[in-house]
Amino acid sequence: MSNGVQAKNVSGNPFDIFVIGARKGFNIAINNLVPNILMAYAVAEILNLLGVMSFLGNVFGPAMTLFGLPGEAVTVVLTAWLSSSASVGLAANMAANGMLDSRHITILMPCFFLLGAQLQYMGRLLGVADVPKKYWPLLMLASLLNALCAMIIMNLFFA
Amino acid sequence: MEKNEKKLTNFDSEEWRVGPKAFISLAAAILFFSGIMTGFDGMKWLSAFDFSTLIGKFGTVKTLGKDTFVGTGGLGARGGFMFALSLVPSVMLAIGCLEVLSHYGAIKAAHKLLTPLLRPLLGVPGLTGLALITDLQSTDAGAALTKELYDQDLITKKELTIIGSWQYSGAGLINNYFAIGSALFSYLTVPLLVPFLLMFVFKFVGAMFVRFVLNTVYKEDFKNE
Repeated sequence: MSNGVQAKNVSGNPFDIFVIGARKGFNIAINNLVPNILMAYAVAEILNLLGVMSFLGNVFGPAMTLFGLPGEAVTVVLTAWLSSSASVGLAANMAANGMLDSRHITILMPCFFLLGAQLQYMGRLLGVADVPKKYWPLLMLASLLNALCAMIIMNLFFA
Repeated sequence: MEKNEKKLTNFDSEEWRVGPKAFISLAAAILFFSGIMTGFDGMKWLSAFDFSTLIGKFGTVKTLGKDTFVGTGGLGARGGFMFALSLVPSVMLAIGCLEVLSHYGAIKAAHKLLTPLLRPLLGVPGLTGLALITDLQSTDAGAALTKELYDQDLITKKELTIIGSWQYSGAGLINNYFAIGSALFSYLTVPLLVPFLLMFVFKFVGAMFVRFVLNTVYKEDFKNE
């Protein structure tokens, strides 16, 4: 509580103001960021162990033709949901092995980020900003639609 | 805080009534914490419900001069904890700087400049512009600024949700696109800026979609705002 009192008595000194802000930032990071990311990592581990991603890959693989992509590309899209950098790494690997060509990469590019790291950003963004949990599924749906529409546009007009 | 009165627990009270849910959760707790779930050969997936598996492991420092204290290969709760700790300084620096800048009126200026753009498009006040711009560089700093705006009663729950959705899809866009996406730039058959601009436009499209749904399906939730 003493922190709150200090905050009120402070002069206009920018260094003091900075420290007050940094303290707020510390509280947000410790109370919101850390617990939420810890949860996201545990959930990622559960999904990984249960093989949820490979199951979804089998189910949705054929739908990739809608975007002018081969069925294997579905693993890239699903990985993007967990982590942007992991999916970019996977795509680079598949491109090096000739499973994806430069046209496919071009179509996939917006998807890496529009769908990117949703699981992690649940904690880092939605949890930190305190967006009501009730609307999280809606926000995920919006991101998914964003990614799918962007891939369709890339396929039709650019790639 | 109340005074230190010592209250005896009444075990016959409503709180202490035991239903089927309670026994199921006790069984789940025993299975989860006992380590039994890792013991079945060929059923590795069961370990998804095992405490010691989900703790995960800390990353290890493999490459001196390259790895930070987070290490590489961290997993589960431990991996997440170290990763989260590595993000703390950026949030502290961002909020500290914002505190100083808003002391001199930066948020008011953003509000004046950006309201004519953000009101019609997203239905949010211009003062959220600073949080949106920050999000393009850093997801964590943008999220922390957004929380600050809400805590200071500058935005409503609905506005919070809309700008949350703008930030969520393509979070940290500039940084992520150029830092992570650059690994694939050599494959692109279009100019670098095409996917970037497309993603930027879609951030607005997604947020407008969310705004529309909040205004229709969830209309009742925001009656009092």
